[in-house]
Amino acid sequence: MKKLLKYHETYLLIIIVLLSIVITTKNANFFTAENMFDLLKSNSFVGIMAIGVLLVLISGGIDISFAAIATVSEYIMAVTIIRIGGSVLSAIAIAVLIGTLLGFLNGYLIYKFRIPPIIATIATMNIYYGSLMVITGGKWIYSLPDWFRSFAEIRLLTFLNSNGNPYGLSVITVIWFLVIIVAVVILRFTILGRSIYALGGNRNSAVRVGFNVFLTETFVYSFLGFMAGLAGVVQALLVQAVAPNSIVGKELDVIAAVVLGGASLSGGKGSVPGAILGVALLAILKNGMTMMAVPAVWYEFFVGAVILVSIGFSSYQDKKKSNNTAIIDVKEQESLC
Amino acid sequence: MKCLLKNALIGFFCFFLVSPVLFAAGQQDAADDELEIATVVKITGIPWFNRMEEGVKQAKSELGIDSYQIGPSDADPAQQVRMVEDLINKGVDAICITPNDANALEPAFLKAKMKGIKIITHESPDQNGKDYDVELIDNIKFGRHFWDMMVKYMGDSGQYAIFVGGLTVPLHNLWADEGLKYAKEKYPNLELITERIPCGEDQELSKQTTLELIKTYPDLKGIIGFGSLGPPGAAQALKEKGLAGKVTVVGTVLPDHAAPYLKEGSMQHGILWDPKDAGFAMTWIAKQLVEGKSIKSGMEIPGLGKVELDGDVIKVDAVIDITKDNVGSFGF
Repeated sequence: MKKLLKYHETYLLIIIVLLSIVITTKNANFFTAENMFDLLKSNSFVGIMAIGVLLVLISGGIDISFAAIATVSEYIMAVTIIRIGGSVLSAIAIAVLIGTLLGFLNGYLIYKFRIPPIIATIATMNIYYGSLMVITGGKWIYSLPDWFRSFAEIRLLTFLNSNGNPYGLSVITVIWFLVIIVAVVILRFTILGRSIYALGGNRNSAVRVGFNVFLTETFVYSFLGFMAGLAGVVQALLVQAVAPNSIVGKELDVIAAVVLGGASLSGGKGSVPGAILGVALLAILKNGMTMMAVPAVWYEFFVGAVILVSIGFSSYQDKKKSNNTAIIDVKEQESLC
Repeated sequence: MKCLLKNALIGFFCFFLVSPVLFAAGQQDAADDELEIATVVKITGIPWFNRMEEGVKQAKSELGIDSYQIGPSDADPAQQVRMVEDLINKGVDAICITPNDANALEPAFLKAKMKGIKIITHESPDQNGKDYDVELIDNIKFGRHFWDMMVKYMGDSGQYAIFVGGLTVPLHNLWADEGLKYAKEKYPNLELITERIPCGEDQELSKQTTLELIKTYPDLKGIIGFGSLGPPGAAQALKEKGLAGKVTVVGTVLPDHAAPYLKEGSMQHGILWDPKDAGFAMTWIAKQLVEGKSIKSGMEIPGLGKVELDGDVIKVDAVIDITKDNVGSFGF
């Protein structure tokens, strides 16, 4: 028990459970399988991008351009499947290929020229999104093929609610679950995963220990690009239309969820379960406010308050811990390489 | 090799620096004897203003003037002011504009007046410094119309909800205010279940909100959506839960976007005006003014109908009702 209290994730879980109990007492429909499946489906989009962002944050970087990457991949994917046709698999392949390439470009710029990641990705965000606007003129796409539309309605498990309407585990949620498994495997069981933590912990040490920093750094940005491409497809499946401006602006929601899940903006810290809990907390909070019939003007206030409380808990634990340790300040030596 | 790469990179960046000039050069050499009427929109690259540009282009070819549309890449008042000032310096004959911020533009409009440039606004009836404002709808009637239409489909009693684009979007909230006042008197048995919800500019959020609403209020019978992504989101959610047709969805939508939902019955009715008409009407009025003609009630704008003059606000009734039967006929 005491060991569990050391983890940030434990506090998040406690808050989620408390919040769920409060919402359920107000509206019993909250804690139903149907609502949970609906939540899982509609948050897959944010969830997939959160996994990508997590790896970048752990490596000590940050990426603002992933929403633009998702938009560009989504758009090109949509245009291709309308013009040429294909299948859901080829649609995903196109989107993740473009996403990965754009992500790789981010990583390459950041590694090669040592541009601070936030500046580099603000620049590429504008270039990616700007080029899309120049080429498309902001035209929306409504006429997605029927096979693409109907794919979104596939369920792997189906139940019937009291009105006889089907609900269940959507194929979109399954995509998210697969992504989670891949991320856990990479972070927990591969040297690449360890190198991501090492890079975020201390860049110089990572180089000296012998990690290939170029590989690690370009990998995390390419991985986020991959996830953004995938999220673009998921977004198109969810919304059944493609609008160049519908994803841009969601970057901060995603980054907030991941940071809420315990990832540190200065790198080296973060976990997949934490990121998922972060996404879950924000999702449940928003879901719960409508379910509890809270007036809409209060939404932002409560979101802010809950973020503050949940971060505050674990930060305070960290502070108590660091009060008990001595700080030895060693001046960092300039590396020559 | 390295040196070559470096030079290539520098060359590349230099190109980027001058490229705006290269692109701009094409726009400048308009013949001087032609009237030049510019339209400035809130933001470029969204379907609404793309559609408006079609009206501006129509005016160009039908009226034999040089009219074109520009606008900032995001809805930034400062950028819009700069664009207007550039147009004044360039010496256009008239400026048609949908303001992002009415107050921010006043000084620029004064400058335009001193140079004899006419200013026509749209969606800004209380604007200072304009010559005329063109409105394709009467905002009070427009707001009420949504309630009338919802009642037509769901009957005059029951629970309903309102989506707006944001709690600070002036027109959406004005329509909601007017409609609510109207409903209080005319349809006392309608019950608004919760305050207006700001999700109408995000389809995913609207869908999720609708899912939550039907779980919280099982007797929900209607949704009014202001903001073009609210109604499609609601329709998607209703279809998914097998409630298409059982809950009435009425709102502002772009016809092509709403077509599948109207046809499958998950949405009942769209209400809007055509931005193309607005683009054309503004340019047409501007041309009359530049040519020294005066604007009178009862004048007819070609293809749009008679105008009604209210002070310096020109009203044309051009509301379009979008249903499953006519949704294919708008072309936007």
